[in-house]
Amino acid sequence: MLPGIVGLIQATEALKLILEKGKNLVGRLILFDAMKMNFKNVKLERDPNCDLCGIQPTITELIDYKAFCEIPMPSAEKEDDDFDEESYSIEPEELANILNAGKEIALVDVREQSEWDICYIENAQLMPLSEFDEHISSLNRDEEIYLYCYKGTRSMKALKQLHEEGFTKLKSLTGGIDRWAEEIDSDMPRY
Amino acid sequence: MALTNEEINRYTRHLTLPEIGMEGQLKFKEASMLLIGAGGLGSPLGMYLGAAGIGKLGIVDFDVVDNSNLQRQIAHSVADIGRPKVESIKETILAGNPNVEVEVHNTRLTRDNILPLFEQYDVIVDGSDNFETRYLVNDAAYFTKTPLVYGSIFRFEGQITVFHPSHEGPCYRCLYSNPPPANLVPS
Repeated sequence: MLPGIVGLIQATEALKLILEKGKNLVGRLILFDAMKMNFKNVKLERDPNCDLCGIQPTITELIDYKAFCEIPMPSAEKEDDDFDEESYSIEPEELANILNAGKEIALVDVREQSEWDICYIENAQLMPLSEFDEHISSLNRDEEIYLYCYKGTRSMKALKQLHEEGFTKLKSLTGGIDRWAEEIDSDMPRY
Repeated sequence: MALTNEEINRYTRHLTLPEIGMEGQLKFKEASMLLIGAGGLGSPLGMYLGAAGIGKLGIVDFDVVDNSNLQRQIAHSVADIGRPKVESIKETILAGNPNVEVEVHNTRLTRDNILPLFEQYDVIVDGSDNFETRYLVNDAAYFTKTPLVYGSIFRFEGQITVFHPSHEGPCYRCLYSNPPPANLVPS
């Protein structure tokens, strides 16, 4: 629904620019909240220090936009460097073999509840990354812990956190539940 | 330029509005707009602007239609799954209004191809879904002095404005001078 509403406000503005009639949205930002069903009008002003249209612009031609948008968080950069992610990763097939062997392990899903409601790997327990701190105490340090998420990014993040807390028997599922659905469980819905 | 009898009949509701009328409808017919993206925003944009009688609609997108698009990208149908989005939306627009010239660009916008493209259009409408494209589109619209109709969505919230720095307005960079850190961008 929302794209329709936003797209049609854009379409209306585009037509008004051609007509040169009415009051257009130059210098105004509409903030629409569908849940509150509320439109807010915020005044926008030109920033004299703007890198592009300010008084002393630093951008005078098109730049490398990929590089411009890939600025990582300064703090996250360093700690990532010396962590050997590969040695803490597990392929879907390997995990399937471990689960099929009936070994005593902890399988932890760090996605959010709404994602869990779509699908999950059998015998997993849900510990959403957004509230991961609260769940750590319920994990057993002596047990092998296998973490997974949607694509493998969040589970590696959770793994690093556990690693910092002194956990050692850790693995993160490469490609997450999405690859699991593709390669191991074809009945699982993909989203 | 004049309207054909078929067009006069088709646009009757516009022609009888004093704010539009024959003069406005002819302006629509002479106008050209470039839509960035044929997805959630691009679908209603293309369908309504086409129906309204914009003379030339350009559409840029390099993606193909996927089943998970259909919940919101209403220009595409089940039969279009796997087809380029620009081809699918072109068909939908022309099915409603064959008077429109639809120019498709089945390509990714880059700093190498964007400026000559923008120079061909009167208005740019941004329906893109990533920061890289938004900054690229903003800067190219500024350098070519083309008005840019901006729209974006996050979860249940939408933002809409018009950037027209050559008419005293701000640009996207006045609003957001830097993108959020890459590892905080929701995927």
